[in-house]
Amino acid sequence: MNPLLLILLAPAVATVLLFFVKEDNKRTIRGIATAATAISLLVSLMLFFGFAEAKYETPEQAAAFTANAGTETEHVYKYGIEVDWVESLGLSFRLGVDGMGLAMVLLTAFIIFAGVMVSYTVQNRVKEYYICLLALVTGVFGVFSALDLFFYYFFYELAVIPMYLLIGIWGSTTKTVDQNYATMKLVLLLSAGAVMALIGLISVYSDASTFNMVALEEHSFSSSFQMIWFPVIFLGFAALVPMWPLHSWSPAGHAAAPAAVSMLHAGVLMKLGAFGILRITCTYFPEAAAAYLPYVGILCCMNIIYGGLVAIAQRDMKLIIGYSSSSHMGYVLLGVASATMIGVEGAVFLMFAHGIMTALAFSLIGWFYDQTHTRMLDDLGGLMKVMPFVGTCFVIASMASAGLPGFANFVSELLVIIGAWQSNLWLGIPAILAVWGLVITGVYLLRAVKDAFFGEMDEKWAGLKDARSFSERAPFVMLVAVLVIFGFYPQPMVECVEQGVKPLVKRLDEGKAARSARLEREAGKTRMVIVPDVDSSKGKPSSVHSINEEGDR
Amino acid sequence: MIFLGIELPEALTPNLQLMLPEFIVAGTALGAIIPELVLPAGRRAAATAWTSLIGLVIAFIVLLTMEPTSTQFAIHVKGEAGEMISGWRSDAFSIFSRAVIAGGGALLVLMAMPFTRRMDRGHGEFYALLLFALLGVMLVSGVSDMLSLFVCLELVTIMAYILAAFRRNDLRSTEAGLKYLVIGAVSTAVLLLGIALIYGATGSISFEALAKSVASGPPSAFLVLGIAFVLVGLFFKVGGVPFHVWIPDVYEGAPSPVTAFLITASKAAGVILLLRFGEAAFLPALDNPDSGSWALLLGAVAALTLLFGVLSAIPQRDMKRMLAFSSIGHAGYMIMGIAAMAASGGSGEPFGPSALLFYIMAYFVTSVTAFTVIIAVSAATGTHGAAAWTGLARRSPFLALAMCLALLSLAGVPPMAGFFAKFLILNAVIDKGMIALAVIGAAAVIIGLYFYFLWIKEMYLRAPAPETADEPPIAIHPITRGVLVFGMVAMVGMGIAMGPFYEWAHEAAQSLGLLWR
Repeated sequence: MNPLLLILLAPAVATVLLFFVKEDNKRTIRGIATAATAISLLVSLMLFFGFAEAKYETPEQAAAFTANAGTETEHVYKYGIEVDWVESLGLSFRLGVDGMGLAMVLLTAFIIFAGVMVSYTVQNRVKEYYICLLALVTGVFGVFSALDLFFYYFFYELAVIPMYLLIGIWGSTTKTVDQNYATMKLVLLLSAGAVMALIGLISVYSDASTFNMVALEEHSFSSSFQMIWFPVIFLGFAALVPMWPLHSWSPAGHAAAPAAVSMLHAGVLMKLGAFGILRITCTYFPEAAAAYLPYVGILCCMNIIYGGLVAIAQRDMKLIIGYSSSSHMGYVLLGVASATMIGVEGAVFLMFAHGIMTALAFSLIGWFYDQTHTRMLDDLGGLMKVMPFVGTCFVIASMASAGLPGFANFVSELLVIIGAWQSNLWLGIPAILAVWGLVITGVYLLRAVKDAFFGEMDEKWAGLKDARSFSERAPFVMLVAVLVIFGFYPQPMVECVEQGVKPLVKRLDEGKAARSARLEREAGKTRMVIVPDVDSSKGKPSSVHSINEEGDR
Repeated sequence: MIFLGIELPEALTPNLQLMLPEFIVAGTALGAIIPELVLPAGRRAAATAWTSLIGLVIAFIVLLTMEPTSTQFAIHVKGEAGEMISGWRSDAFSIFSRAVIAGGGALLVLMAMPFTRRMDRGHGEFYALLLFALLGVMLVSGVSDMLSLFVCLELVTIMAYILAAFRRNDLRSTEAGLKYLVIGAVSTAVLLLGIALIYGATGSISFEALAKSVASGPPSAFLVLGIAFVLVGLFFKVGGVPFHVWIPDVYEGAPSPVTAFLITASKAAGVILLLRFGEAAFLPALDNPDSGSWALLLGAVAALTLLFGVLSAIPQRDMKRMLAFSSIGHAGYMIMGIAAMAASGGSGEPFGPSALLFYIMAYFVTSVTAFTVIIAVSAATGTHGAAAWTGLARRSPFLALAMCLALLSLAGVPPMAGFFAKFLILNAVIDKGMIALAVIGAAAVIIGLYFYFLWIKEMYLRAPAPETADEPPIAIHPITRGVLVFGMVAMVGMGIAMGPFYEWAHEAAQSLGLLWR
């Protein structure tokens, strides 16, 4: 059986199986969910370690999953599988991953496995809980491995909808967030982004008359088409990232969600947006990317700085991590906007590292929130005395997030900042801001650690339970281990990611060259003297910009 | 030629075996009355229902075995010069539509069974009327001239008037029937006027003459007016704004199985006729740039219908009434498909009609599931207002799950059938470059998510009201359970393994417009 299909089917089959299990048979329900996610995790690990050597059996298969074969931008998707689905529409069920996709599949597998184990504490409507959770993760696996535009969207939407029930039923309403409001807002905003992207994706289909994402990579879209549809699809995905100013669903959603859902939500779901930007918008529209990405470079600074400053003002631990997530997704966008090899590689690596880190943080907050029923820093304090293990893990997560060397986050954030500096984007100002963003991260996380885990402890917390048993500690240990291992030995992950990023960056370079050639040509045609030097300053004079658009028509 | 011992004129070249399914349904409709006359009161309900069911199933099977080769006329009346005057034809499109209606009709009968068991009289009439109405819907798929269009449509409509008022002791049901009749009569008059104008403009009642005169260049004012009036009549059937005013009250007041019929088969009749009429009035115009296009008008009606439907569904606190408004929204999507059909350009594939046919199928299964749950819930609680649904997931998880899946399908969420249907419609519209319409369609999806999720919230997120908290789970009749299981499997199946269903619809859509272009 195709390994990617196995990863995808394990949670899907488990979802269906769970319908037939009796509600009060909680052990069986948890067992099925754990087994399914364990299969996905093991298979993804196998794929990850065998990735460099993986080959197709026949040359035809290899050709079907290689875009632009023989050129500089040759892009190989491995572990591919293809089944005809609706022939007259040219729609097939097609899976396959490049290094970028595989990193994300692995991330999802880690987080859902930890998420299922953390959720053993859920006592209310267990069956429905795991059905929703597994349906959601099926969608996520699907997005990261789909190679057909229709199924890409199919899984994308599938991943958003179960969120509604998960937050609505098992979430929590606190002083800061109303769960009904948060969950409706989240679903509506994400779906609005999704259908916006859908309109763009269907237009892509209309233009290229294929859903095959490998073939689409070889299709060249006219530059006017690119200029129109890049922003539409980009914004659709950016709502999920979430890019400022489309971010408001995200912190509220985090805060209202139960622990495992926050983990998936911040750890994986946000990455769906960034992944879509890389896989679809930047890959298909390289020329438009050259025009628009610099502006993304500005918006992501808002994410980094504004998100960080808002996080400083929060007193609810989940809101702090929530805003910190949108702040860190700013780094991912900055890496993408830099359009350099190092920057994009760092962005994808950061998606992985931040996913693990934030999942760890949310699972730990979930651990003590289950007992204290408060996450407000003012009510907590001194928890280190009663739960040293959980406290230590939280300190580790905070350090990782603040970019302490030795953790995967440090490596990836460094790559992003170097990339941004190298590309000379807006004279390097975003790169400088990003460094200051790390300082801000340090401020709010250290304060959260101090207020929650150190200092005076309230008497009423004396009876709190630490994570003691193996199954309680396992998810935390696993996530910490991943952060540390990839922090000290990032090589395998960097190599894996590089396989997918390389062709993309090559394409972006080509797009840049094509755009500057076009601008020069048009400037010559209209006898303009301005010849923009695209490489050194991508913020072009606006007059040249408008001429370009006229020329396209 | 001798048929049934009667010497038929040469012009009538009957090929009546093509209408075998219709004969079966008509025969069953008459046969359904017999048990009412001969059996004791206690056994009438089951006997009439099963008779009807068997008839529809046989018709469905016959249709599945029919080879959709080329267009064949069952009745073909020719003029002296060999031009067509009137006729009824069978092609891939009509076989598809009839099969959907016969199969869906069988589902309607099944879902009505637990309902009619509770009636004390009138079983025979109920099923006979329902079958005649279904017969009308099956017949509209083959019409080739204005008069058969009118007659077949009236067969559906008049049966529906009576069915809507079937619970004659119930004030709301009577009100529904009367409202439907009065407004329906006006629209019938407009439709007839349109037919008369088209006849005046083309000198014939046949679609062939209409297609020719449309293709020949700029249409005369008479023709434009005539086509517009016919469209009004059909929009009334489908529930297009501004001809939707009857829908909320009638759908809410009519007995639930009848509402299910109105929302599925009766709406399908309008859509099928729009496609059949559009085949003659819109498609030929695409070849001739002088002929003008109806796409803009249809697109405007679609957008209005869509927005009106979804926006008015938001504040509804009664499930049936909400579904009534949401059905207006769905009519908007269907008219979008027609607009895509009438627009020129694009890839040349019949995306609009095939999307529409898939939509009808998906909508049929989804609505039947939803209304089966409504019947079960309102039988137990005596209401279909919001109170009946609060905390339903705790009281009857099975019913809540079925309703939840139906609502998700209506909202267009994967992996349900409704998702692929909406995807196809948007694809059809974008293929023709009608981006603005697609944006409105997409906005309506979001609004739809909002109000469908309000009901899911009611069922899943809220605890049951204290006075109903201790009540036992709602008893589910085995037939109801069967219909629901079938409906859920069909919704998910059509949403995931959509291939064969779409190919079938696509093949049917391809046969549209072969005759007169």
